[in-house]
Amino acid sequence: MSSFGISPEEFVYAARDFVDLSDKYRDSWTLHQNDNEILQTYIRKEEFISHRDENDKVFLYRAEYVIFFNLSYGVPSFSFNVWDCSGKLLTLEEVRQISLIKTTKENFYSVVSQQEHPVLYKPYFIVHPCRTATILQEFKSKSRNIILTFLGLIIPLVQLNLPLEFAR
Amino acid sequence: MANDREVLREIWDGKLPICFQLDQEEIMDIQQPDPFYVMVPRLSYFPLVIDKMKRHFLRFISQENADNEMWLDYNGQPLKWHYPIGFLYDLFCGNDPQLPWNLTVHFTKFPEHILLHCSNKDIVEAHFMSTVKEADVLKHRGQVMSTMQKKDHNQLWLGLQNDKFDQFWAINRRLMESHGDNEGFKHIPIRIYSDDGICRQRLISPRNSDGSRKIIQQLISELYPDKPDVKLRTHGILLPADTPLQWLSEHMSYPDNFLHICLC
Repeated sequence: MSSFGISPEEFVYAARDFVDLSDKYRDSWTLHQNDNEILQTYIRKEEFISHRDENDKVFLYRAEYVIFFNLSYGVPSFSFNVWDCSGKLLTLEEVRQISLIKTTKENFYSVVSQQEHPVLYKPYFIVHPCRTATILQEFKSKSRNIILTFLGLIIPLVQLNLPLEFAR
Repeated sequence: MANDREVLREIWDGKLPICFQLDQEEIMDIQQPDPFYVMVPRLSYFPLVIDKMKRHFLRFISQENADNEMWLDYNGQPLKWHYPIGFLYDLFCGNDPQLPWNLTVHFTKFPEHILLHCSNKDIVEAHFMSTVKEADVLKHRGQVMSTMQKKDHNQLWLGLQNDKFDQFWAINRRLMESHGDNEGFKHIPIRIYSDDGICRQRLISPRNSDGSRKIIQQLISELYPDKPDVKLRTHGILLPADTPLQWLSEHMSYPDNFLHICLC
């Protein structure tokens, strides 16, 4: 299915470069590394997001995003959790309702599911990696940074604030 | 190819006796509920085998909790439903067997920082299928799963859910075939868990760099160079050091096509 794949080293290189870019544009991604284990490398960002429902009522949430390396597929993977202001973890259905893309349950659930995080070992929502490889294949030669390109594909799924200059 | 049918059958038929008890704090009835005993397949998942048990305990708990998500613990440790039952038993009781396995049932205080939510069996099916897919990516770059039809995927799941060996293996044998010239998978779908239940991502080849078959002993020296005496356990069995990984993957993988192995 996929001949695309990056190595853990390529991922770490892109992660460092990505965090440098993030600093430059005053975004808040941070790099996390474990000296003994390259596969434990990930980048993380936390932010507050708001959602306006049909009745114009505004809700505030805390979101955490983690991008890590999926070894089986050889691709970056996107994972996240969202909490409401009482500290309760949002369910997948609640996440779908505040997602920027209006999509059916079936479509959304085929792309995102709750899983045990391969690097952080706790429940996270993880975007399925199976189509990532095919899509990244197309962009690899033109990509400034593979994580940046990857993130461009994910952003519409969750509400993610990324400064536009970033993408140039 | 998975040719040792007797081994496959023996693994498939593995069962565990379980004794479920309701958490004392949740009993709202004057009468104490009887414990609930049941034999469950080692290869199955808890959400697939606990409907009757749930009905048994429901009338003893506060009705406001009746629609809550039920969860289980062993000795205070929440059980992750997304792992096969037999693996969970090996992880917690492998060194110190306890039969029947005594588990506590809860309807409140769902530990959402540890357990995945599982509102219905579709969630189990989706989790199972995505694990099979990942295994196929490791073995054949995903080529077998992507050329199968939807009905084949369903048959795999229904075979497991309904405990039908022939139905399951009619499809699963295709996932256990080797492609290309050199016999064997590209990588072995294997997860080795330390006793805290943590498993690190690894890419394991079925062959050594000189092309010979890799055996358990060589895997251990590759992964744990400073701990030559560690043992590996799966399906309640300590794996002999001379077992080839390719054979192991074909015959002793769980239905999700991964080897789930405890380090001990």
